[in-house]
Amino acid sequence: MCATYYMTNGSTGTNELFENLKLELRRGCLTLAVLTQLRTERYGYTLRKALADDGLEIDEGTLYPLLRRLESQGLLVSQWREEDKRNKRFYRLSPDGEQILSQLLTEWQRINESLNKILQEA
Amino acid sequence: MSTLKNPLELLDRYLQAVRFWLPKTRRQEDLLAELGEDLRSQIDDKEGELGRALDKDEISEILKRCGAPMVVATRLGPKRHLIGPTLYPIYTFVLKMVVLWILVPAFLFIVGLVNLANSNGDWGKAAAATLGGLWSAAFVAAGIITLVFAILERTHAIADVACKWDPSSLPPLEKSERKTSLFQTNCELVFNVFGFVWLLLLPNHPFLVFGPASAFLSIGPIFHDFYLPFVLLAAAVIVRLVVMLARPQWKVFALGSRIVQAAATLVLVNAIINVAGHTVTADWHPFVAVASTLRGTEKYAQFVKIAAIVNVSILISFVGTWIGVCIGGVVQTWELLKYIRKQRISHEPASLQVQ
Repeated sequence: MCATYYMTNGSTGTNELFENLKLELRRGCLTLAVLTQLRTERYGYTLRKALADDGLEIDEGTLYPLLRRLESQGLLVSQWREEDKRNKRFYRLSPDGEQILSQLLTEWQRINESLNKILQEA
Repeated sequence: MSTLKNPLELLDRYLQAVRFWLPKTRRQEDLLAELGEDLRSQIDDKEGELGRALDKDEISEILKRCGAPMVVATRLGPKRHLIGPTLYPIYTFVLKMVVLWILVPAFLFIVGLVNLANSNGDWGKAAAATLGGLWSAAFVAAGIITLVFAILERTHAIADVACKWDPSSLPPLEKSERKTSLFQTNCELVFNVFGFVWLLLLPNHPFLVFGPASAFLSIGPIFHDFYLPFVLLAAAVIVRLVVMLARPQWKVFALGSRIVQAAATLVLVNAIINVAGHTVTADWHPFVAVASTLRGTEKYAQFVKIAAIVNVSILISFVGTWIGVCIGGVVQTWELLKYIRKQRISHEPASLQVQ
């Protein structure tokens, strides 16, 4: 097996490398988490809060473009609605989104099991 | 705690600043409205927690946590690029090829020499004109290439071609670095020494160049004008080959000195062509003349015709040499740059491959 390692100088480089890898790791997980949370209808802020409460912080600049992308892919549906005298955009999973989410969760479990197995072997 | 008539005005100012950096589309307005709603909800939550309205500093804190307007707009906005990651390596390759392998050699070996010839020996003026021209040409070429690739990016033209690639059309494996053999350098040295001796004997023994025709042909004026530079160039080549034999590990010297040799040859040949081209008269004999002892004889006119044909042939061969040396110079420059790049990569400590 051949891998390329990036050598960095000092802890700043290591931290940066870690942050980049963490970002990569989080990217796929965030999509899964957002889709799962949106089995129940929510608007942006409550969705962020729900994710943060479960230990998955996500900033505004990441969440809203992600929601738009998932909506444009047909996985979410949304509508602007008034609540507490303020306009809020509510999101929920579309029928296609539900189907994809179920497939993604199966895949996630499979990856998780494999990873656990690998970690136990190591 | 600082006071403000309407602390929420700060939020509106913040959203306005974010809007400034976003494209004016419906989607972006929607995103901005959602961001505004999110921030208002955060403020509401905090106010609920504290049981009072937030002041300017507390709202500032929330906005600071959200990020600078320009940064937030970058995250919210569409991912824009002129040339995407698929085309980017091809774009840089084409850019490098056009600028480094075509424009730089062309300006160095062709435009530069033409400028030099037209500058009446003013090197500074010729260099300035060449560099100015190169800069403009590189700038225009880079602009055109960027424009073409931006169009290709928008039309997805390359993506269609990339999908249809065939593994059998891949280029063959690159041969390992070709090394100039000792035998080759030795042969070159022997031939050059013979050539040098031949050149030294030439002024007093025209038979060596004309053979039996030396009875009616003699060496023309250009030969005398350029004899010394040619001798010096030939001597320099011999020195170069001796150094290459003594220090075969001096790869950069071997490659660099070839380029210098090519440049010197070009300057010399260019000057000869210019002088020969500017001395067209009825009695044109720049390289070869009819022996003066034959002047006034019966066959003189016939010998003049022969001399004219020989002169034209020599001029054509000089033009051919000029073109050949130009091409050789470009190839040698390319080889030197390739070698330098290889060396740089092999000494780069930033990345390493592990098995």
